Amino acid sequence: MSERQLIQGNEACARAALAAGCTFFGGYPISPSSEIAELLARELPKRGGVFIQMEDELASMGAVLGASLGGRRAMTATSGPGFTLMQEHLGYASLAEIPCVVVDVMRGGPSTGLPTSPAQGDVMQARWGSHGDRATVAVAPGSVQEVYTLTIEAFRLAETLRTPVAVLYDEVIGHMREGVVLHEPTSEELGLRSGPRGPFSPDFLPYEPDEKGVARVPDFGRGYRFHVTGLMHDERGYPTSDHVKVERLLARLERKVDAAVDAVAPEAYRLEDAKIVLVAYGIVARTARAAVDALRAEGVPAGLLRTRLLWPIPADALADAIGRADLVVVAEMNRGQWAFEVERLAGRHVQLAPYLRAGGSIITAEELVDHVLLASTKGATV
Amino acid sequence: MSWRVDVRCTGSGGQGVALAAVVLAEAGLAGGFEVALTQEYGPEARGGASRADVVISDEEISNPQCGVPGILLALHDKAWRKFATGTPAVMASLASGATVAVVDRDRVVVDPATPGVLVLGFESVARDELRAKVVANMLAVGALGRLIARLDAELVETAVSTRSPGAFRELNVVAFRRGWAMMHDLLASPGAEEVSAGVAGARA
Repeated sequence: MSERQLIQGNEACARAALAAGCTFFGGYPISPSSEIAELLARELPKRGGVFIQMEDELASMGAVLGASLGGRRAMTATSGPGFTLMQEHLGYASLAEIPCVVVDVMRGGPSTGLPTSPAQGDVMQARWGSHGDRATVAVAPGSVQEVYTLTIEAFRLAETLRTPVAVLYDEVIGHMREGVVLHEPTSEELGLRSGPRGPFSPDFLPYEPDEKGVARVPDFGRGYRFHVTGLMHDERGYPTSDHVKVERLLARLERKVDAAVDAVAPEAYRLEDAKIVLVAYGIVARTARAAVDALRAEGVPAGLLRTRLLWPIPADALADAIGRADLVVVAEMNRGQWAFEVERLAGRHVQLAPYLRAGGSIITAEELVDHVLLASTKGATV
Repeated sequence: MSWRVDVRCTGSGGQGVALAAVVLAEAGLAGGFEVALTQEYGPEARGGASRADVVISDEEISNPQCGVPGILLALHDKAWRKFATGTPAVMASLASGATVAVVDRDRVVVDPATPGVLVLGFESVARDELRAKVVANMLAVGALGRLIARLDAELVETAVSTRSPGAFRELNVVAFRRGWAMMHDLLASPGAEEVSAGVAGARA
């Protein structure tokens, strides 16, 4: 299907899930993500899939992990308050290597916050919300079309890397309608789970990594007997406190998600000769792009690095984009989350002037232009 | 030269401004344009002053936000007070001729001295002629469709039809045509043409 359809971000997400072969949704509706659950509740049963509304988000995540271990492509969708409740099981999924996609349509927080206003406040939560050194993948679409393509990509990454993948976008993208082409993904775009080498045998190792560092866990019910645990485990899947094995496991889990960096490249806009580099993602990258055009029209050499991947951080592309800059402006709808990461990678010679706002409205292009002009004339960190 | 129009549809929750915006966006998309539609999702959409913004452009829409709109539709007085008289930038834009407001005189009290305003009676026509007050929003779609340059009447009509619930399909199409004619006649009247002449994306 190549015709453009006028659909909402959340609908694009649900359509992408169906196109990506998702057959299980376990969740608890919450604004501003509810349309995803609504559409999948209607569509999944028609296709032999399962939609289940659980009693809360803890249970939702448990249902998703169970379905995934049973071989389903499984997902849930939520917003900040629900994402908080899912963190426990997300940590479990990371360690036990259970694929799943978690969509977080971000609203203002903390707590119940601003239920129907946009925010980008869950960026660090996606990274560090669950305890321990959890490696994680999070994508950040910047348009309704990209909600579609990156949700499909999130399923591919989740399945091939056997890890939870978060799709983070804000309320405005969730509810915005744009023209979208709902293309059918190719088999490469869908990806396949890593599986066991051969039939079950007594020396079978479900957590033996394949060449990409991904465990070879079979789906439940295929005749393999194995153990899944949230304890540190060896390649047999049984608990271990052998510090060498634990260290190796944690390093492998961290290393395997690096594959996402190459898969979800950032977008460079007018960066070739840019001395002022804006860094943004999601809806803010849209207004930042308009700001770059306005600044260029005034003769200001501005450019934009729009990241589509928040975690793991695309460090090389970022360093490349900001390395030659005189001024770097990270713009995000929070009190400074990705801005900290950029600051960490920037080094001391780069002037940083993040533009941060979390009150529940979009950062406008005009605000960004004013901010950049002020920061660049001051020549000092604002 | 790129072409872009920012349309803000406002009213009271339940008047159907969201559907009006969807129809306009769909017609723009069918016409080969880029479109972005954003709307308020809070309690306003259920009874307060509600808003839905449509951007239609012939190039990729970097900024999907409608700032000061080129075209402002007001179907209710509380929306007019919030999005026009209560917003100095919009009043200034109306005064400068960069914004044109389309206002339902049956529901909105407009100071006759306010510049940049085109006044039509959507609700009274819907109620008295079409015997259905609820189609006032489709009259407004017709009026806006006529006002937005480069929107094709047939494509808007198709969008009205496909986006209408079955029971209202025929009536909505009738209302759309009536609204289109209302704006057509209004623009032909003395002085009206100048109101929209300087507005980006509007047809005079």
